[in-house]
Amino acid sequence: MKKDTIMEVEHLHKRFTSKGVTVKAVTDVSFDVKEGETIGIVGESGCGKTTLGRCIVRAYQASEGKVMYRTAAGEEVDFLTVDKKKMKEIRKEIQMIFQDPYSSLDPRMTVLDIIKEPLKANFPDMPKSEMDDRAKAMAEKVGLNPAYLMRYPHAFSGGQRQRIGIARALIIEPRIIVCDEAVSALDVSIQAQVINLLEDLQKELGLTYLFISHDLSVVEHISDRVGVMYLGQMVEFADTEALFSHPMHPYTEALLSGVPVADPTVHIERIPLKGEIPNPANPPSGCYFHERCSYCTEKCVHEAPELKSMPDGRLCACHRAEELKLRGFTYSEE
Amino acid sequence: MDKDTILKVSDLHVDIKMLEGKLTPVRGVNFEIKRGETLGLVGESGCGKSLTCKAILSINDKKCRSTGSIIFNNEDEGEIDLLKLDPKGEKIRDIRGKHISMIFQEPMVAFSPMYTIGNQINECTRLHITKDRKKSKEISMEMMRKVGIANVEKRYNQYPHEFSGGMLQRALIAMALVCNPSLLIADEPTTALDVTIQAQILELMKELQKTYNMAILFITHDLGVVAKMCDRVAVMYLGKIVESGTAEEIYANPQHPYTRGLMGSVHKIGGKKTERLFSIDGTVPLAMNLPKRCGFYDRCDVRIEGLCNNADPELVTTDGQHQIACFACKNEACQKMRKEAEKRIVLEKTAGKEA
Repeated sequence: MKKDTIMEVEHLHKRFTSKGVTVKAVTDVSFDVKEGETIGIVGESGCGKTTLGRCIVRAYQASEGKVMYRTAAGEEVDFLTVDKKKMKEIRKEIQMIFQDPYSSLDPRMTVLDIIKEPLKANFPDMPKSEMDDRAKAMAEKVGLNPAYLMRYPHAFSGGQRQRIGIARALIIEPRIIVCDEAVSALDVSIQAQVINLLEDLQKELGLTYLFISHDLSVVEHISDRVGVMYLGQMVEFADTEALFSHPMHPYTEALLSGVPVADPTVHIERIPLKGEIPNPANPPSGCYFHERCSYCTEKCVHEAPELKSMPDGRLCACHRAEELKLRGFTYSEE
Repeated sequence: MDKDTILKVSDLHVDIKMLEGKLTPVRGVNFEIKRGETLGLVGESGCGKSLTCKAILSINDKKCRSTGSIIFNNEDEGEIDLLKLDPKGEKIRDIRGKHISMIFQEPMVAFSPMYTIGNQINECTRLHITKDRKKSKEISMEMMRKVGIANVEKRYNQYPHEFSGGMLQRALIAMALVCNPSLLIADEPTTALDVTIQAQILELMKELQKTYNMAILFITHDLGVVAKMCDRVAVMYLGKIVESGTAEEIYANPQHPYTRGLMGSVHKIGGKKTERLFSIDGTVPLAMNLPKRCGFYDRCDVRIEGLCNNADPELVTTDGQHQIACFACKNEACQKMRKEAEKRIVLEKTAGKEA
C-alpha cells in the first residue's frame, strides 16, 4: 500500500445465489482511497453500488477479494479476513450512514440512546455520565439541540433524523464513513445543510468519505474522485473534474448527458442508450455494456475489456477509450 | 375566462380537521394554465403541491375540505367549477381520466398487482371511449406502442411485476394519455427513476405533449427537471405560491428570498468547486394555527421586523408574467404593497390602542 492510502479494495466480488441462480452483484472492483479524501460512487439502481459499500464495511461477506486497510496504529490488515476480535476493533474506525432516515432509527429508543449505542457496544467500561456527555457534545456538533435528546425519532424532521444518523456514526470517532445515499431522501434545502455539515466535519476531523449516490450533481460537488459502476463492474474511476469534463467510457458519457441541469438556457443533447439494463444473472458476452453502446465494435462483443490505467492516470474499462472523443460538461474558467 | 386558458385555480384552500386543531396545508393558491403549456409547481415536501393537484380531481382524502374555485374550461361543455361537483358524481367521473388525467409518483404502487397491464389500460378506454372490447384493445395497444413499449402483444398480457420501473412508468403514461386528455397532471413522475430513464421519460412526455397539444401541470421538487420541461414555474412554500413567472425569468432572476435559497442550494455541475452550497436555515413550520404573517418569516434573511411578522404579503404582478409575494423586494409593485401594509398596521395599532 502507498503511504497516503487508507484503504485499498482489490478484486472484490460478491455473488448472491438463490434457487440455483447466481447473480453477480459486484464483479472485480478495485480502487484505492487516500486519507482525507471523498470518493464518489455513482451508477443506476441495481448496479451494485450499495452492495459494494456493504461489503466494504463487512455487513455482507464478500465472495472474493481483499479490502486492505491501514489502521490508526499504522498496521495493514485485510479487513475481510481478520478475526472477530480484531474486526470489532477496526469497526470503530469504519462507520456507515444509511439512506433512509426514517427506517434506520429505532422508534422505541430515545435519540440520546441511539447516539450513544455505538459507545455502549464498543466501550462497555465507559462510565454512563461520560457517554451522555459525549453524546450531547456530538449532537451539538451536528446541529441538534441537546435539550431535545430525550425525545423519540418520530418527533424529528427528515433532515434532523439524518443528523442523528450522522451523530451516531461519528460518536466513536471513525476514520472512514461510508455514506450510502445519505442525502437522497432529503429536500434540496435540507440536502444543502447536510452536505455542508459533512464537509465541515471532514475539514475538522480529517474524515474520509465513501459517498455512494445516484445523484450526479451532489457527487460532483462533494467528491475528489469518482467511480462509475455498471452492472456490478467499475467502468471508470477518475478525478471528479476530469470525469465530468472528459469522460472516457461511453456509459459515463451517456449517464452525464441525462443529468437535468438547473438552467433552462442550457440544452444538452442526450445520448440515447439502447434497450434496458441486462439481467445481472445472465450478463451479455464480452463487454457488459456492448448491447447498449453506440460505439460498439466486433471486439467488444467477444472480449471483455479490463480496467486499465489511462495516460492521465484514470482507470477505464473500454477497448476504445483512447480513440473516442467523448462529450462532458464544460467547466467555467473562473 | 379567455379561451386559451384551460384551468384557473383561484383562492384554493385545503384544510384538514385533526384532533389537535385545523391543519391548513394549502392557504390560498392562485394560478392558471394555458392550453398546450407546461406549468411547473415546485416546492419542498409538505408545501401542499400534491394536495393542490389532487384537489383539482377531487381525489383528496375525505378528511380534506377544499374551498375556493377551480374552473376547468372544457372544449365541449364550457366552464365548469370542479369544486362544486359531487366528488362521487357522474360529472367528475366523466372528467377524470378523459379530460384531466394524472400520472403518479411511484409506478410500482400505482398499478394493481392483480391485473394485467393491458387490462388496466383498457379500463380507461372502455369507460370513456368505446364499449367494444376488440376496438378498445386495439386503441390501448396503439397507445402502448406510442409510448415506446416494444413487443406489445406479449406485454399487453403481462403483470406489473414483469415490467421494469421505466417500462412501468411508460405504461402509466399510456394509461393516462389513452383518452387524449386536454390536461395532464404529473405528480413527480420521474422521482423514483434513474437518470438515464428519467431523461427518456421526460423526452417522451414532451413529444406526446406536442402531438396531442395538451397542457401539463408538472409537480416536482427537482429544479433540474423543471428547467428541462417547463414553460412557466410557480414556487410554493407553506401552502402558498410565493413566486411565479416564465422558467427563464425565474432561473435567471429569482426575486423571492425562498426561490433564491432554493436555487442556491442546488449544485450546478461545472460550477466553482470550492463554493459552499447556500442553505436555508431552519425547517418548514407545521401548517397549524399559523399567525397572520409571512410564512417564510422565520427562515428569511431579508425580513423586515415589524412588517413581515404582522402582515402576509400577497402575490403581485411586477412585470409581464412575473409575480412575487414579498415585502422586501425592490420592485415597484412590491414596494406599493409594502406601503399599504405598513399603513394598515399603523391603523390597526391605533385602533387597538383606542379600544
